[in-house]
Amino acid sequence: MANVFRGKRFSSACGAPAVLLLVLALLLPILTALGGCDSQGEKAAPERGTPGVTDQAISLGSSLALSGHASYLGTQTLRGALSYLKHINDQGGVWGRRIELTAYDDSYDPPRCLANTQKLIVEDRVFALFCYVGTPTTVKILPLVEDARIPLLGMFTGANALRAPFNRYVINIRASYYQETAAAVRHLVKDLGLTRIAVFYQYDAYGFDGLTGTELALKEFGLEPVARGFYVRGTMDVEDGLSKIQKSGAEAVVMIGTYDPCARFIQLAAERRFQPIFHTVSFVGAEELARRLGDSSGQVVVMSQVVPPFEGPDARQLLGSAEEYVHLLAKYFPDDKPNSVGLEGYINARILVEGLKLAGRNLTREGFISAIESIRDYTLGPGANVSFGPDNHQGMERVYFTRLVDGRFVLVSNWQEVLGALDEVRAKTQAGTQAGTQVGTQEGRARP
Amino acid sequence: MSFVRDSLRRYGSLSLKNKIFGSILAVVLLISVAIAFVARYILVSSLTAELEMRGSAIAHSIAERGGTFMLDKDYPQLLSLIFDEARLHERKHLISYIFITDQGGEVLAHTMTRPFPSELRLANQVPQDKGRSLRLVTVEQESIHDIAVPIKEGLYRIGTVHVGLSKSHIDSLISKLRLTFLGFISAIICIIFFLSNRITQYITRPISKLTRISDELSRGNFDITLDFQEEDLNWKPSECPAYVNTEMPCWHFDQSARLAATHRTCKSCVFYRKRQGDEVVQLGDSFRNMVWSIKLYRRRLRESEEKYRSLFDSGPDPVFVVDCENFHIADANPRAQELYGYEKEELLGMSYLALGPENRSDCLITYEGKGGGTGCLYHPKVLHYKKGNKPFYVNVHACPISYKGRHAIIIAVTDITEMIEKDAQVIQAGKMKSLGEMSAGIAHELNQPLNAIKMGSEFLALMEEQGRTASPEQFHQVVVEISAQVDRAAEIINTLRAFGRKAEMLKERIDVNKPIGSVLTIVRRQFELDNIRFNLDLGEGLPPVLAQDNRLQQVFFNLLTNARDAINEASLPSEMDARRSIGIRTGAEGGGVTVDISDTGVGIPDEVRDKIFEPFFTTKETGQGMGLGLAITYGIVRDYGGQVRIDSEPGQGTTLHLFFPQAL
Repeated sequence: MANVFRGKRFSSACGAPAVLLLVLALLLPILTALGGCDSQGEKAAPERGTPGVTDQAISLGSSLALSGHASYLGTQTLRGALSYLKHINDQGGVWGRRIELTAYDDSYDPPRCLANTQKLIVEDRVFALFCYVGTPTTVKILPLVEDARIPLLGMFTGANALRAPFNRYVINIRASYYQETAAAVRHLVKDLGLTRIAVFYQYDAYGFDGLTGTELALKEFGLEPVARGFYVRGTMDVEDGLSKIQKSGAEAVVMIGTYDPCARFIQLAAERRFQPIFHTVSFVGAEELARRLGDSSGQVVVMSQVVPPFEGPDARQLLGSAEEYVHLLAKYFPDDKPNSVGLEGYINARILVEGLKLAGRNLTREGFISAIESIRDYTLGPGANVSFGPDNHQGMERVYFTRLVDGRFVLVSNWQEVLGALDEVRAKTQAGTQAGTQVGTQEGRARP
Repeated sequence: MSFVRDSLRRYGSLSLKNKIFGSILAVVLLISVAIAFVARYILVSSLTAELEMRGSAIAHSIAERGGTFMLDKDYPQLLSLIFDEARLHERKHLISYIFITDQGGEVLAHTMTRPFPSELRLANQVPQDKGRSLRLVTVEQESIHDIAVPIKEGLYRIGTVHVGLSKSHIDSLISKLRLTFLGFISAIICIIFFLSNRITQYITRPISKLTRISDELSRGNFDITLDFQEEDLNWKPSECPAYVNTEMPCWHFDQSARLAATHRTCKSCVFYRKRQGDEVVQLGDSFRNMVWSIKLYRRRLRESEEKYRSLFDSGPDPVFVVDCENFHIADANPRAQELYGYEKEELLGMSYLALGPENRSDCLITYEGKGGGTGCLYHPKVLHYKKGNKPFYVNVHACPISYKGRHAIIIAVTDITEMIEKDAQVIQAGKMKSLGEMSAGIAHELNQPLNAIKMGSEFLALMEEQGRTASPEQFHQVVVEISAQVDRAAEIINTLRAFGRKAEMLKERIDVNKPIGSVLTIVRRQFELDNIRFNLDLGEGLPPVLAQDNRLQQVFFNLLTNARDAINEASLPSEMDARRSIGIRTGAEGGGVTVDISDTGVGIPDEVRDKIFEPFFTTKETGQGMGLGLAITYGIVRDYGGQVRIDSEPGQGTTLHLFFPQAL
């Protein structure tokens, strides 16, 4: 150290050694700091080979509701996807590799989903997670996805938690609930001129998400839900919610739930002569809801969809590649009727395979994600494009609207029809009231 | 050891700025490092304790809630529970893993996304009696705090919860701390660098300036201005009365300190300007005062030196400084050069004895304190030699001094050549007068031989006229007699001539009888005609004295003349029975020669006895004598180192005793 101190000065009277001294004195801490930096934070991920990829096969994992009150959703999603995957496998797979999908049943139970996913990651060592169903379940496994850095693609849920904060490993294809409810509210307020809108939601993360979305959408118009009613997941206890909403005199009810409780809600409302326009999100499950409601309710039920609907005079034009789904489903699962849930699964599989193709033979998880992010305007049908980007993991944005007509949900071509339908229903009810056999319910008609 | 000494020496030779900077830096760095370590230790230990506390809390919470799930064997719920605990927001950073084992140690649920490391299972086991176990385990090169808490159902343990806490956030905190410290230290280094530079500059600049100034002063350059403070520029040295006139005292350093404080005149003087300030400022002030003081003093000194130098240089008398050790002339003033005819360069270093050989013993005498009352010696009428060995007479004053630390004498020389010449002239005048007096006698004296010669030549002429020839015996007698008389006349004339001659300068070894004889030759007959008898008692084989023959004759002549005058006052020459005699006695006594001249004259009364040797003192009537004879006599006798003593009895006679020291 003494050698360093050979005096000279920084300015006027002296020269180099003081400058040298100063520079050294400053460098020392910096160097130490740099040296010390390594001990900070990040654990370097240990280098392993890509799991789930062998020379012949790519293995994927899924945990979804294959039994229980949401079994339809899970089963159809899975079959929709599988029909395409089998098709691809029959054509030689992707880059010579077959795609194998391991699916576990979690009955829409988040802990079970968690356990299944951990098993898939740790024991089955799958390459990616695919086709998850449900908000609480999928949200529950997000920590696992983060920790294991495993891609999660194609979830049958529009939950906001999957979209924000942005997660590199989570790839959403369907539009979010926020987008669905925003579109719905827009139509309700602008096209139908309704302002008294209530929300009926499942009492869990999914329901909260939808509620928040609706509230946000209403806020745009300076409105608020006139009532909020809920039911507990897994139950059919809709009466309290219904009473609350009916008392508020709502003109429209946005429903975020599953098909059984929603069907019951609508039927009970009809019995109690409460006839707002019911709007459900796609997750409810169009076919099952339609099946349960039948023709008898006489209510106006509108459902938003995130995939092009099948039914309806104009629907055909929108189908595009949905035709292939119909064809493949008939081939591999001939007992199942084509439905929008399955179509979603199919679309998930389409995107998955596209990503695998783009990722090339040298398949890694990171490479796969980068490949997905490179997809731009992948066409599924007229007006149905899928685009991703390094900041955009939301593939589809479009929301379609369908109405329950004759036991089927058909595409809404224009909203005047819906208005007309509403008037019809109210007229019928009045006639029924005039018949004087029913206890009057509040006629909360609000004509535009 | 030598390394330490070496470094200390190197350290000592650094400039002040670097010393201060280096020392402060070293201390600060030391302190900083110490603080850093202490802080780190405190931080780490307290954070770890915190961490463990939180981990324990989590573990306990899981243990509480997981118990039911375990009993129900509802493992998905258990998994969900531990996942919630592990991954909830910020917990992600804190908790590395959680796993639950049953009482057999089998893992029921864990939060890892990779195969469970088997060593972890049994790594930290809770002893039977304890409620908790804490251990640092290593999982894939990472250190994790594993906290194990038993899951109890009542008293029975059904499993264990392990919460693994990652130290990463503690480590990141430590890194942050380290970085902060280092940044802090860097900032401190910079600040100290500039601060210490400033401070040392503040100190060293005035000191360097003072050093420069004192270097200039030590070279004798007193003209540099002491302008380190602005106020001083207005004060000029010419404002100081003591500077301008060195006779005036300076109140500051000529008075004692106490008085100076009370009598503060010269209010504007630099000395009194004491500024409020720190040591550096005061050093500056004191230095300035010191320099001014020196200036003042030097001025005085220079004036004094000039004064004395001019005295030395322009003194009317030659002054020599002679070194006692080697008798070389150390210094001589210009007058000395003029007088002695040497240039200064020739004089310096020349031996003084070449100029004044008789002063050889002066050094010794003066230093032995044998000089006169002032410690100085006085040599009257010493013979010195000018350039070319020309002798001349001087009076010499020699005083001891210390010259350049050595014994030396300072010799002041007064040229008395003129005086001597005057003396000589006076003596000559006296002599001439004497001669004049003697002329009658001399004429008489000369007559005799001339008569004799005449008789003889007349006899021969007579013979010749008578046609007779003298007999050879008669002829021989007459011729011899004529020759003898001529000799005698010649002798008288020679004596006269000798007498009249100016005295020689140099002393010779003289037998006193000789000048006595010479004088008697001249005056004896005359005195005898005056009926004065001489009683002579001249000693034989007298030792010689160092004197001049001529002068001695002068002396004896004067004394004899005085004796005759005294006798003539006592009695007339015609008195046949009066005592009219002069006695001359010479002898060797007391290391020298004594000459006693006694007369039967009138004597010298007591009151006059002391005065007779004074110049111009005479008892004769005006016109009869100048009164110089005895003065001259006295002077001459003293010149030869002799003494004169009078014995006199009025009415009886006088005896003058002369003593001359023996010539060496």
